[in-house]
Amino acid sequence: MALFGRRNVLLVLLAVALVLPAVANSYQLYIGNLVLIYTLLAIGMNLLLGFAGQLAFANAAMFGIGAYGTGLLQVHFGLPFAIAFPAGALIAAAVGLAISFPALRLSGLYLALSTLAFAQFTQWIFLHWEGVTFGAGGFKTPQISFDPLPVSKPVGLYYLSLLVAVALYIFARNLVASRVGRAFVAVRDGEVAAQSLGVDLLRTKALAFGISGFYAGVAGGLYSQALNYVSPEGYDLFQIVLHKAMIVVGGMGSVAGSLLGAGIIIIVLELLRAVKGAQEIVFGGILLVFVLFLRGGLISVIQRYVKGWDEPLHAAPPRRDEPPPLAVPATPVAERAAP
Amino acid sequence: MTAPALRVEGVSVGFGGVRVLEGVDLDVKPGEIRGLIGPNGAGKTTLLNVICGIHRPDAGRVLLDGVPITGKKPSSIAQLGLGRTFQTSQLFRGMTVLENLMAGLYRRTTTNVLAAGLNLRSHREEEERTEEAARKALEFVGMAQFADRPGTALSFGQQRVVEIARTLISEPRVVLLDEPAVGLSLNRLAEFDALLRRIRDEKGVALILIEHVIRLVMDVCDRVTVLSSGRRIAEGVPDEVRNDRQVIEAYLGKELRARHS
Ligand SMILES: Nc1ncnc2c1ncn2[C@@H]1O[C@H](COP(=O)(O)OP(=O)(O)OP(=O)(O)O)[C@@H](O)[C@H]1O
Ligand SMILES: [Mg+2]
Repeated sequence: MALFGRRNVLLVLLAVALVLPAVANSYQLYIGNLVLIYTLLAIGMNLLLGFAGQLAFANAAMFGIGAYGTGLLQVHFGLPFAIAFPAGALIAAAVGLAISFPALRLSGLYLALSTLAFAQFTQWIFLHWEGVTFGAGGFKTPQISFDPLPVSKPVGLYYLSLLVAVALYIFARNLVASRVGRAFVAVRDGEVAAQSLGVDLLRTKALAFGISGFYAGVAGGLYSQALNYVSPEGYDLFQIVLHKAMIVVGGMGSVAGSLLGAGIIIIVLELLRAVKGAQEIVFGGILLVFVLFLRGGLISVIQRYVKGWDEPLHAAPPRRDEPPPLAVPATPVAERAAP
Repeated sequence: MTAPALRVEGVSVGFGGVRVLEGVDLDVKPGEIRGLIGPNGAGKTTLLNVICGIHRPDAGRVLLDGVPITGKKPSSIAQLGLGRTFQTSQLFRGMTVLENLMAGLYRRTTTNVLAAGLNLRSHREEEERTEEAARKALEFVGMAQFADRPGTALSFGQQRVVEIARTLISEPRVVLLDEPAVGLSLNRLAEFDALLRRIRDEKGVALILIEHVIRLVMDVCDRVTVLSSGRRIAEGVPDEVRNDRQVIEAYLGKELRARHS
């Protein structure tokens, strides 16, 4: 394997992530935690949009449902975080699956619009179902501790995020290199051809929705604790823009690209936090550059110039806007018609 | 008389009042190569789309190995053993040639999300078998050297051949080929002819072959069915069809005239 191959680079990154709590101040640790959380969101979005090709906007809602689910199960039912967290993620996945069935009968723009409506609807619930969600003001999440482990809460939470992110990263890598991942890409690249091989469209898309929702839900649970606070505006449509931006910058249809995109976007946004208005401008500029000039994202550049970065199912960046090759006009070859 | 692998009974299809197919019948025996020819717009592709479940016929039905499949989803029909290729190239562009072939084994594999994500041994073993079968299938069609190329790097004709391999790999009972020779150069055409014969002899699959390259059809097909304006106007062994007055008038003659003008 090449020195700067993907595996080596990822191992170095993991080593850095492992020692980060020892060298970073609490702010830097928080940023590290955010990168891990957004990596999960970006992978979830990438599985749905980058691999399965479903342009949907529901992930902000799943992110919120994961956060609210995890927080509210603790607040209202006194469940420990260790139970509320996976439960919140599963609720998000279940909701993702449930909405996918009506939504997936639609496609393209209609799918996008209906999932957008769903995201707005969840916002409305977060805001107005005050008896349960505490409305616009949100609520503080209960303090958790990592007793008997000898770590402070922020450090414990960071390592929890790291553990979950690494596990789900590997899970996603394995998944896309399997028949399930091939079915996703088949549906993205050609629904009719996919069906002709026995791939059930609705089931496959629903699966992508459910898995994507699970990743967003897990991220939501971790995020609620990272902020110690849950309120509606943390899960609004800007989140969708953020997740999309991450996979556009990192690379559609690449798990490693999701990590790359999440890291870059979070760090750029943080660096620009001090300069008023700069965030929006730079953010928009980055997106424009990538959409116009770098369709495959940064990962496509790395894959081209650095050995050992090829991934399965990433032979050609998807170019969905390109018409299929024209069929050669089907006129018979005359001389062959002669007996 | 063997039971037909595929039977089409009185299929009629209209699009917005325009009749495209009118009471078409078709019986294809196991292992038979059936040619399906006719002028542009005759309804050949529409017939394939009815068979594979993309269009629902207004009347009539289709049986695969005696089992009625009309009204089922295309994916369910594929699961029952019906494969097809399309008039335009439909390789998955985000996959290598090898991965395309592996995708072709979808209906014969069982790994679920958890087994795949957790990389369980059952998944790894199935994946190994899948890859091995894919390489074999590529070898069968003489495309082994392109395994790791993106499908889009191949010529149009090569892409069509890979698509055929992708369909055959799951060993379907019946395969529908919609103008597979489009884009093949003259010398590739002879190879393609040989490939079709090898498919018939070694795979034991029933083929329906839509083609405008008449010599190919007359060469490899056991029987030929001629469609014109949505109706079956002739059927028989190649020699019968070639000399049929109606066929010459509706289709073959036109091509000869076109050549001389
Ligand atoms: N989805 C559709 N909606 C409306 N009309 C259609 C549709 N599909 C096909 N047709 C029409 O049905 C007729 C038969 O088309 P079909 O594609 O089956 O012909 P074909 O025999 O395959 O022709 P070719 O040799 O050009 O491929 C044509 O007149 C076509 O315009
Ligand atoms: Mg056609």
